[in-house]
Amino acid sequence: MKGRHIAVIAKKESRGLASEKTILLAILLQVFIALFSSFLMVGLTAMYDPVSLSRYSHFRYDIAYAGNESPLLGYLEGSNDLRVHRMDLSTAVELLKERRLSAVVYVPDTAPGSDDPVKITLYTLTDDLQGAVVDVRLKSVLLQYEGDLRTIRAGRLDVTPIPLQVPASAGSGDFYGFVYGLLVPLLVFLPGILSAALVIDLITEEYQHGTLETLISTPVTFAEMVWGKVLICAILVPVQAGAWILLLSLNRIAIADPLLILLHVTFASLLLILIAACCALYYRERTAAQFVFSTALVVILLLVLALPYNPLNLVARIAVGTAGAEQWIVLGAVMAAVLALGYVMQKYAGRIGGRSAGEKEQGSG
Amino acid sequence: MYCGGNGNIYIGMGAGQKHRSVITDQYLSPVPTPIGYRYTGPAMSAARDIAIIARWEVKKTFSVMSRNVLPVAIVLFVLLVFVTGFAAESGLHIQDGMYRIGVDDPKVAALFTSDTRFTVYQDTDADLIRDRGAYDIVIVRGGVFASATQKGQSAENALARDYAQYKNSVYAGESDLFAAYPLWIDTESVESEINFSTPQNGQYIPVPPGPGAPVPQGPVENIPTPSPTLGITQDELRQQIATSSQENSPVSRYTDVLSPNSAAMGSFVTPDQLSPPLPFDSIILVFVFIFPLYFSSQFFMMSIMNERIERQGEPLLSMPVKTSSIILGKMLPYFLAMLAICTVITLYIHASLLVLLPLIPIIVFFLANALIIGMLARSFRELSFVSIFFSTVATSYLFFPSIFANVHVISLVSPLTLIVLTVQGTAWTVADYVYATSLFWLTAAVLFAIAAKNFNEERLFSEKKFLPRIREFLSGILPEKHPFAALFVLALISIPFVFMAQMMGLVVFFNLPMPYSLISLLVLAALIEEMAKAAGIYTLFVRDPSFFSWKNLVLASAATAIGFLVGEKLLLFATLAQISESIFGSVLFLSLGSLWMPLLLHFACVLIVASSLKLGGKKALVPGLFAATLLHCCYNLYVLGWFH
Repeated sequence: MKGRHIAVIAKKESRGLASEKTILLAILLQVFIALFSSFLMVGLTAMYDPVSLSRYSHFRYDIAYAGNESPLLGYLEGSNDLRVHRMDLSTAVELLKERRLSAVVYVPDTAPGSDDPVKITLYTLTDDLQGAVVDVRLKSVLLQYEGDLRTIRAGRLDVTPIPLQVPASAGSGDFYGFVYGLLVPLLVFLPGILSAALVIDLITEEYQHGTLETLISTPVTFAEMVWGKVLICAILVPVQAGAWILLLSLNRIAIADPLLILLHVTFASLLLILIAACCALYYRERTAAQFVFSTALVVILLLVLALPYNPLNLVARIAVGTAGAEQWIVLGAVMAAVLALGYVMQKYAGRIGGRSAGEKEQGSG
Repeated sequence: MYCGGNGNIYIGMGAGQKHRSVITDQYLSPVPTPIGYRYTGPAMSAARDIAIIARWEVKKTFSVMSRNVLPVAIVLFVLLVFVTGFAAESGLHIQDGMYRIGVDDPKVAALFTSDTRFTVYQDTDADLIRDRGAYDIVIVRGGVFASATQKGQSAENALARDYAQYKNSVYAGESDLFAAYPLWIDTESVESEINFSTPQNGQYIPVPPGPGAPVPQGPVENIPTPSPTLGITQDELRQQIATSSQENSPVSRYTDVLSPNSAAMGSFVTPDQLSPPLPFDSIILVFVFIFPLYFSSQFFMMSIMNERIERQGEPLLSMPVKTSSIILGKMLPYFLAMLAICTVITLYIHASLLVLLPLIPIIVFFLANALIIGMLARSFRELSFVSIFFSTVATSYLFFPSIFANVHVISLVSPLTLIVLTVQGTAWTVADYVYATSLFWLTAAVLFAIAAKNFNEERLFSEKKFLPRIREFLSGILPEKHPFAALFVLALISIPFVFMAQMMGLVVFFNLPMPYSLISLLVLAALIEEMAKAAGIYTLFVRDPSFFSWKNLVLASAATAIGFLVGEKLLLFATLAQISESIFGSVLFLSLGSLWMPLLLHFACVLIVASSLKLGGKKALVPGLFAATLLHCCYNLYVLGWFH
């Protein structure tokens, strides 16, 4: 096994990737998904994050209040975001249809201490962003009113929950959790999955296009050729994942410790690449190899995700800066698995290489 | 008899080459000869051909798969079942330990230890206050204090939801439910006629009201006074609270999208349940429905690719059958399989089978693209990259708009929204269906037509690069005898693709602040249109530069411009009236009013590109496109009245 031969193969494959302009598509893909995350940032935070909504707090939404007097009217009028008009229900709903109001609230004549619940009717527009925003604002007011009514009726409760003063603004969207707890781990592991698929392509192509003989006739051994292909795919992982992290930070999604994340991603991906390479060596045909590998991938991912301290979780923890010493144990385990699988692949490739060399001699002799 | 003969050819080919045994083996088992093959008229024979090729395809696929794959696949499937069970038991540990909270009261700490997102530390209140920098949230004497960072806010959100869930579990057990939940809200949706003209995300109302109460302009319809009682028993309400309070775990929040849920209880909610639809919920539908489709379309792609490796498809092409029958026959098994997969999934999640209606155009669209990609790619890695790129773009086209399901009418651009609505139990109309799926049907039809025209030896076994191949494919559908008619048709059929690309742009730019969104869209829309119009001219130019005398150049530009305009108007009237009325529509599709102005514009733009090609050769394409886009943008700005 010579390092130089492996490097030659890796270089050959990287040239192949560069000459086919398809790698451009991969880059385009990254930019595209980066655009997607910026789309999420700008659009959805504005919609669901009350803090960013307060930027528009100079704007007051017009709503109508119909029906009977209640403390709710006072709360609504006290809200900075709403401008309340008292009017009768039919007029209010017509104005809502004309989009000159954002919502209509109807309150019935039910006493606060009554045995029955107070049933409020809320009219909003279907399929409307504005309606969703107004809902957010009305919710906090309604919760306040519900609290009042609960206090009035408290004597009728059997058990009261442990009191906790949670700020009223909390409990809306969870953009941060989505980005760091899902988007970031998935994005940085995506290159690993792509590279694993790529190594299958590179290996099966030699079989299916019948270019294996030419390669074997050079001083490069079969195992060295496979390692060269694994190497180039493995190198692509930190490059791509690093580009992701860079794009994310351009989108103002800061990652706490990028290098540590790249370390974890590279080794975990190497494991996937080795599994894929073994699939390709065994099946020698793309459809079968890709099918078995991707099914196995689903099983592996699901299993890994169900385990605590899995690499994806570690990436999330590192990204938000809460990872502890346990990450080194996990990294050690992943590295041990890489070594073990690398040994298996080396033996397997050596066996196949020996066999095909034997066939070659037979053929010539 | 033809199939048997072809089988022999394959056996001959495969005999001497051991290392390719897997591929050649698929042909070693000859397809059963269609005994009793009788000519029974063109339609019948086409159907028969398709059936034969479909059977052949199935047999071929299984002979490849069964060798070593089937046992492994069965093992993996069993493992998958076990792992799914394990994952359901243990939960998905991806957000574990993201937040640190410090609590002074063990009883409060117990409330949050079950949520794996939190690492809960217990300490005295003095120590907690001193070390508050180390925690995202500190809970001291019943007060919750989150750090002022984004992370602190997010932790607070998660904690608030956990606490609300805990409170609900206590309240739901109360004997007097209306003391625990004294306030109920009945939400009534009101339809508004103006939908797309408010593209902003809640930042303003189009008609700013004056100082006093507004007065309606239209006639006032009498709205009956709502009943003050709920009309539902306490037990039924208790059940609803019980089901909805389970929704908070990280996994079930997504899986609940799939269950036809609490809507059965009527529209009554407590203030706590009154929340805007969560934006990412529809992503679970992408995983459940779209990924399996993408996955299975890969097999079709690979089957097409395999025909091209080492000219293996030659015997197939030499069959006395129309190419369209070959394509349809090869496609049919995959179509049926994908439909079956969707049906199984639909039945499994207990959704209405109506879900299949919007899924069928998606399936056809995926297959059409798989076909074209399988025919175009030169190598496996190219196949992988192109198909991954396609799947990402297609998935985002499906997913982005559906984020706004129930929120904004733009969501109806995507068939996925119809699926969201169906799963929810909301009705949609035939018009909605046409609106959401027509582009999928049309683009798929055009791609099939292009594929059928080019499904021949010359194209399939060519070794050219990717982009020249695309040009060749276009060239294949441009008959040499009628170049102008061909340009007209090409411009006409490019319209669905242009609309799709522009819709994508609309969806992506929709959320930028107002002037930027409009300007980005303006430039992008113009560029896409100019590229589409230039495609035909460029193809002809590369094939035969001498064809472009000045007279022919003008005629070719006119043919393209007319074709484009006709296609544009046809599709607009058919489907997109809703969007075309808004300001975004006027940017995208020019005004619907007069016809000669846009025609002149299209003509001028194509002429610019064509002239620069003639004067500067192939390299002048990019500058020509640039100039045409510029002119197009200026025209659009003029139409919008921004020069006044």
